Amino acid sequence: MTGPTDVPEAAPRRLESGSFSSGLTVPDFAACLQMGLRPVGLVQGFCAMQWGWYGAGSPYLRGTSPFGFSGGGGGGYMQNWYCPHGFVGGEHRTWGQNYEQTWVEEAWLSGFNAAFGRMIEEAEEVGAHGVIGVTDTSHNLADMRVAEFHVLGTAVVVEGAPPPPKGLPWSTYLAGQRLAKLLEAGFMPISVVATIASVRVWAYCITEYLMEGGAYAWGQSLSSTTEIEQVSEARLAARALARDHARRQLGTDTLQGITFSATEREVGAGDQVVECTLRGTRVRRFKDFDPIPPPRPTVRLS
Amino acid sequence: MTGRAPEPSDVRAELARAAAWLAEGGRSPDSRAATSDLSMDEALLLHSIGWEPIELVFGVSVTSIQVGVWTWGMGELTSPSDAHNLAVEHASNRLGQECAAVGGHGVVGVRVDLEIHPRHVDVALVGTAVRPVAKTSHPPGRPFVSDLSARDFVLLSNSGWEPLGLAFGASFVYAPRRNASTAIRQSSQNVELTNLTQALYAARETAMERMQASGIRLGAQGVVGVQVEEGPMRFARHVIGFTARGTAVRLGADGHRHIRPELVLPLDDAVVQFEAESLRAQG
Repeated sequence: MTGPTDVPEAAPRRLESGSFSSGLTVPDFAACLQMGLRPVGLVQGFCAMQWGWYGAGSPYLRGTSPFGFSGGGGGGYMQNWYCPHGFVGGEHRTWGQNYEQTWVEEAWLSGFNAAFGRMIEEAEEVGAHGVIGVTDTSHNLADMRVAEFHVLGTAVVVEGAPPPPKGLPWSTYLAGQRLAKLLEAGFMPISVVATIASVRVWAYCITEYLMEGGAYAWGQSLSSTTEIEQVSEARLAARALARDHARRQLGTDTLQGITFSATEREVGAGDQVVECTLRGTRVRRFKDFDPIPPPRPTVRLS
Repeated sequence: MTGRAPEPSDVRAELARAAAWLAEGGRSPDSRAATSDLSMDEALLLHSIGWEPIELVFGVSVTSIQVGVWTWGMGELTSPSDAHNLAVEHASNRLGQECAAVGGHGVVGVRVDLEIHPRHVDVALVGTAVRPVAKTSHPPGRPFVSDLSARDFVLLSNSGWEPLGLAFGASFVYAPRRNASTAIRQSSQNVELTNLTQALYAARETAMERMQASGIRLGAQGVVGVQVEEGPMRFARHVIGFTARGTAVRLGADGHRHIRPELVLPLDDAVVQFEAESLRAQG
């Protein structure tokens, strides 16, 4: 988390200027006023983060047998693949490994959490109950291995409500009408949740051949169309890891309205990095389940 | 499907109640976590028919295509369509397995990401596993997989139909060539290129036939929400690919239920737009 000196001096001056700012659209602004939410300021947090080159299995350690490391991928997911051919030559890939790049995930989470913490700190400065309409971006700066995280939202006060627990504002990606529907459904936003999973594929010989279009590899009786299991497993694992990282933050709450994205980056013959990010709003039920009446189908005559 | 009219709720009071509840510690009546990529509207619609989202689930498969299959030739390329079908089938099976592992009855709103590369076909499926809230029925042996939205699933369910799984098919054909003399002779004519028409027509039909066949294998009576995508391969412009997919459905045990929608006549006038250009037109 962040300390009290993280927020720049200009931020409190802006937030105490006597007028509010908001990132809400006009319809969302109107809907929030209707709900009893008063915008008090546009709050934001930044963090420029450098990626470390170190870590078991990082590209700088390529060529070192993964079997030499205990647990391979820094204690995370790891799966080994073994060559069926025996010794062929020095360049033959006798082993392969999928492993979770935990140091990449930690760097990303550190950057996101620092930016998010600074945004929440700004919201505390203005005495907000919550932050709505949160957006977050991360992009690479000109320098190599440096990314900037930016988290932004509108701090709001719930008219007449007691302060939130420990003074920490809740947060949500939702705003306006969608936030109203969430409340009507019986859920209260707790916090935005964002996670990443990064899995490195270090291809063994069969994966290398198949990704390059080779079907009959060294006498293997592979059919002309076959699944590339190592890559399939890595991509599935990366997705499941992103979900499981988020799940660990939930307790018995629900992660609602997830947006999920996955990228695959080839870094060599058969080798690739799979990265999945997952974002959503952690919500908690505050009243018993009460389904809406079945909707009535209608046909417009105009 | 008429139901009672929804009562207007006081969102301001609900928010005040929720904020006070949170300030007092905010203990949840729920006993387990859930993850879902459904919108709030979709979650509410599911609740209205007694279903709930339980988990975001995934299915992925990457299958190989042998080198050299994209070179010039005649007729259909079977290897890419085999790779496509294998990848979708494996990904769909894995999605179903993840759904079954969390006690889901099926997966709705499945997003299908399909990429065909020169050497491999990549398929990634993501959707939300759902189940009835009442838990009166046991999960089916094979959970359904559907790329229909939760809204369409609700409508389908209310009509008495049930989704079974993804039906899919593909066909890849070489764009047939004319010989040089025919091409020169036809260069100045308005003429149908019958060989091209026939090849594309046949390929489209083949892809859809395979899709229907995969639906039949699932025990379906039909396929709804069919999407056909077609176009030349970006890395081999002389090959045109057709893929078709949809949700295989069958009639439920209670038969078809007629939905009788209410007719609605909106009374609001069309908005008259002010056009600044009209002022200048006078001059």
